[in-house]
Amino acid sequence: MKSDEIRRGSTGSGGSKEVIRTESLDSGYGRKVIVAGAELSVMPGEIAVLIGPNGAGKSTVLKTIAGQLETIAGTVFIGGRDRTEYASADIAKKQAVMLTERQPAEKMSCMEVVSLGRYPYTGRFGILSREDRRIVRETMELVHISELAERDYDQISDGQRQRVLLARAICQEPEIMLLDEPTSYLDIRHKLEFLDLLRDLARHRGIAVIMSMHELELAHLTADSVICISAAGRVEKAGPPEEVFTDELISRLYGLEDGRLRQVYSGFAESIGKMTDNIGKKTESR
Amino acid sequence: MNNKRIAFCYTALGILLLVLIIMNMLMGSSSMTAGDAFRILFSHDTVSRYGRIVWDIRMPRIIAAALLGGALAVSGFLLQTFFSNPIAGPYILGISSGAKLVVACAMVYALTHGIMLHSFVMIIAAFIGSLAVTAVILLISGKVRSMSVLIVCGVMVGYICSAVTEFLITFADDSNIVNLHNWSMGSFSAVSWENIRVIAPVVAITVILSFLLSKPMNAIQMGEHYAVSVGVNIRAFRTGLIMLSSILSATVTAFAGPISFVGIAAPHLIRSITDTSRPIVMIPQCFLGGSVFCLLCDLLARNLFAPTEMSISSMTAVFGAPVVIAMLIGRKAR
Repeated sequence: MKSDEIRRGSTGSGGSKEVIRTESLDSGYGRKVIVAGAELSVMPGEIAVLIGPNGAGKSTVLKTIAGQLETIAGTVFIGGRDRTEYASADIAKKQAVMLTERQPAEKMSCMEVVSLGRYPYTGRFGILSREDRRIVRETMELVHISELAERDYDQISDGQRQRVLLARAICQEPEIMLLDEPTSYLDIRHKLEFLDLLRDLARHRGIAVIMSMHELELAHLTADSVICISAAGRVEKAGPPEEVFTDELISRLYGLEDGRLRQVYSGFAESIGKMTDNIGKKTESR
Repeated sequence: MNNKRIAFCYTALGILLLVLIIMNMLMGSSSMTAGDAFRILFSHDTVSRYGRIVWDIRMPRIIAAALLGGALAVSGFLLQTFFSNPIAGPYILGISSGAKLVVACAMVYALTHGIMLHSFVMIIAAFIGSLAVTAVILLISGKVRSMSVLIVCGVMVGYICSAVTEFLITFADDSNIVNLHNWSMGSFSAVSWENIRVIAPVVAITVILSFLLSKPMNAIQMGEHYAVSVGVNIRAFRTGLIMLSSILSATVTAFAGPISFVGIAAPHLIRSITDTSRPIVMIPQCFLGGSVFCLLCDLLARNLFAPTEMSISSMTAVFGAPVVIAMLIGRKAR
């Protein structure tokens, strides 16, 4: 670790202690660049949210950072070291992923799925030690899925499934978590619960989180920093939510007509406001 | 936990295996009593009529059915993991037929030139055939996303290989042609002790190597992306999986011809009983399950219409195909 610090200093990134950083990263499939020149950095305990239109390349960036896709140009630094310098087994102890892959695992109980998170730590045959089993059990308690332990992973709801996958990622004891649209299939309550969990994890365990998201209002609520990826495949803007979420920037990012965004969100906020007002009046009149 | 189910499954398979071995030993076109069999086994009597039946005919056949049946089931499980599809198997994907074609070529060549083929040569020929068809299937799987289309393509490739084999057999004129024909329909009858001395180590080593891959197999069941993220070297792993599966199905085809459905039915039944798909449980149980399945089918193939013997493949189809159909319906319902 010490030598990493020195090396990190020499890259001239201003002495920050970011756990993950990309340097003029070109990502895409084969030789076709989808997102060019991405410069990102995320601190421990920080949640970075990737937003941008469909097909802009949010998933592509995530997959490249995760090592699922090869970098076309540029570098991904993990803990200050070039990603390619690590053995893949060592990366697995630092980085956990939760990508959208709706592959039904036949006849796997939720506990088996969560236990797979211990993969990098188990021996030749993947048999769990007592310690591994304790971690699995505690993690399942943490995300409130203990009662699902024996249930078939195929037969639980989307909300439960995301929690199981989150538990699996936590079991990996990562420093970095990469999530691809983890809230997309969930209803509002499950979205909020999931994001609260993630928030707590980042805070308490100092995990750096990078995730992509379509729900702007939730990104606003959750993110420490927001990274905008434009349809042209560029990092348009990266910064704290209050800087990024401006009518002008978001409308341009998603190619919305003037006033449309405001109409949607202020209209919605107004209705919600009325709803809460009405509830207030009703309780008063009682 | 499903440990109880797993233990139950081991016990049940162990008992069934034992019972079927005994039944296979005693029953046949000439039946004998358990006393006869015991006496022959312990006195090493290889000269009397019963002695010759036990030592020269039934014993090698039982061992062959047990080893090759197990090999088929494990081969099927490896393919199912590879394609992440429970309907994949060496027979349905045409891999067995590919092996059959190349072995038939080798046999016809050997027969016309009066050469005796060593067991290893047979396995290598079958292995080449298996790999060739597997390569075709992999090419197709790169082009089509749908698993059912892939399976249909596999069946078609299988038909093509079988048709070419039929041609060969029809036009190769030799007195041994009857043997060749029997073999190409699938049968354990032609397996000799000399064959078993080759089959046993090949199957044992391959199954043990497969077992050593349990851990990455478990990871890939959660998807390829996930396997990569926990540090599985996916290319090496996939190559290993295909090689092992091909060696197993090639060994079966080289000595017993193509045998249908065991590779799908046995793993599916085991999965339903143990309620898990962890490879570390599945691989040994599939092996046992395949053995039991083939011993049962061979017992029936020999005795049902005795003295006429049926091909093992038609027997495994009668039992295996309904299991596969039930599985397909079960999946649709979900």
